[in-house]
Amino acid sequence: MRKDIIVAVCLAIVIVVVSYIVTLGGGLGPLFNDVRPLATIYLSTALNTYNITFTAMSPEAVTAIVWDYRGLDTLFETAVFYLAIIGSVAVYRGIDEKLRASEGFGLSKIVKVVTKLLIPMNIAIAASIALHGHLTPGGGFQAGAAMAVIPILLIVVFSRYFLLDIRLSKGLALALRSIGLVGIALTVFIPVVIGLIRGLNAYIMQNQAKINAPVSLPAFIGDSLISGSLILYNVSEFLAVSFGFAILFILLSIEEGLVKDQMRGEDVEH
Amino acid sequence: MLSINVDEFLANISLISLIAIIGISLYGIFVRPSIIKKIIALTIFTDASNLLAILVGFRRPPSIPPVLLNLQPSPEDIRYFTQVAVDPLPQALVLTAIVIGMAVNLLIIFIALQVYRLYGTLDVRKIRRLRG
Repeated sequence: MRKDIIVAVCLAIVIVVVSYIVTLGGGLGPLFNDVRPLATIYLSTALNTYNITFTAMSPEAVTAIVWDYRGLDTLFETAVFYLAIIGSVAVYRGIDEKLRASEGFGLSKIVKVVTKLLIPMNIAIAASIALHGHLTPGGGFQAGAAMAVIPILLIVVFSRYFLLDIRLSKGLALALRSIGLVGIALTVFIPVVIGLIRGLNAYIMQNQAKINAPVSLPAFIGDSLISGSLILYNVSEFLAVSFGFAILFILLSIEEGLVKDQMRGEDVEH
Repeated sequence: MLSINVDEFLANISLISLIAIIGISLYGIFVRPSIIKKIIALTIFTDASNLLAILVGFRRPPSIPPVLLNLQPSPEDIRYFTQVAVDPLPQALVLTAIVIGMAVNLLIIFIALQVYRLYGTLDVRKIRRLRG
């Protein structure tokens, strides 16, 4: 224990001394004087009705980058996410979740009532993060992470069998997550389909019209800004991420004894 | 003591401690025998590198987040926004990296759990049968 304290103090001293020397020598200050030229391009075109060739029609530059300028990057990140969840489901293949009444499990009545009050608020916050993803900081990923808190809360407060009582099983979560992924896939091909129908040039994942591809998804519905495909991507990603995490938490909370029994059963069969 | 700019000194302390944290977490990943401690070090590594990426996109004050508050901006608004907003690109990369990192961490945890069920230990030195 004493050794740990000595090591920590030495490290702190080293960090302070090195930073002092770095500051004396001119420091890393020039790094922060200006942003890179690439960032200037993104910032100046994110919402720019005077430069319709490059704009993403979203006042939030981060979402414009995530789903428009670097959309393919995010698409394959979603593929990584998909593979991670499918890998976890594959580790748990063949293990049934046994049904059991949820009464008598969980924390006290006070905690349960407070949780019941919290969950609608949590859903509202997550939905607002997803639906305003193109206007304010946030988006489908954040909204999904906010929504993923709900299964954890339900498992800790009400017990795992409560999830089966309200019919949030692994199968349903997988289905809803697949709907989210299919939504993303369809949104990718919408501009191409419009282009084929109207005989125009169009790109995959195109949002607003380009010089040689005049297909453009509507940036406004009535007076409200929806930024073309960005809102569709955000809502689909919200579904995919929130229910993807729900699957993982459902699997992670299967009773240990149950899993071991089934694994042992597998061995006997072979 | 030579006189220095205090703001710059504090900024340098945070940057260099981030680098130190990355070093410590790499030590944890490579040297610690317990898989659980490796996973904890891995999450610290992910968070520290995400923070470092965000820090690289930082801009000296007066700076604002990369969000236009005016939905019908004039060319002057856009010019001002471009001059003061921080770099949105590292934020966009980190935004996805956090959520994907969480999913990948959960996958690693599932595998660690399975290893514990099969071998009864999480010490990598004892998991002989996993040797390739």
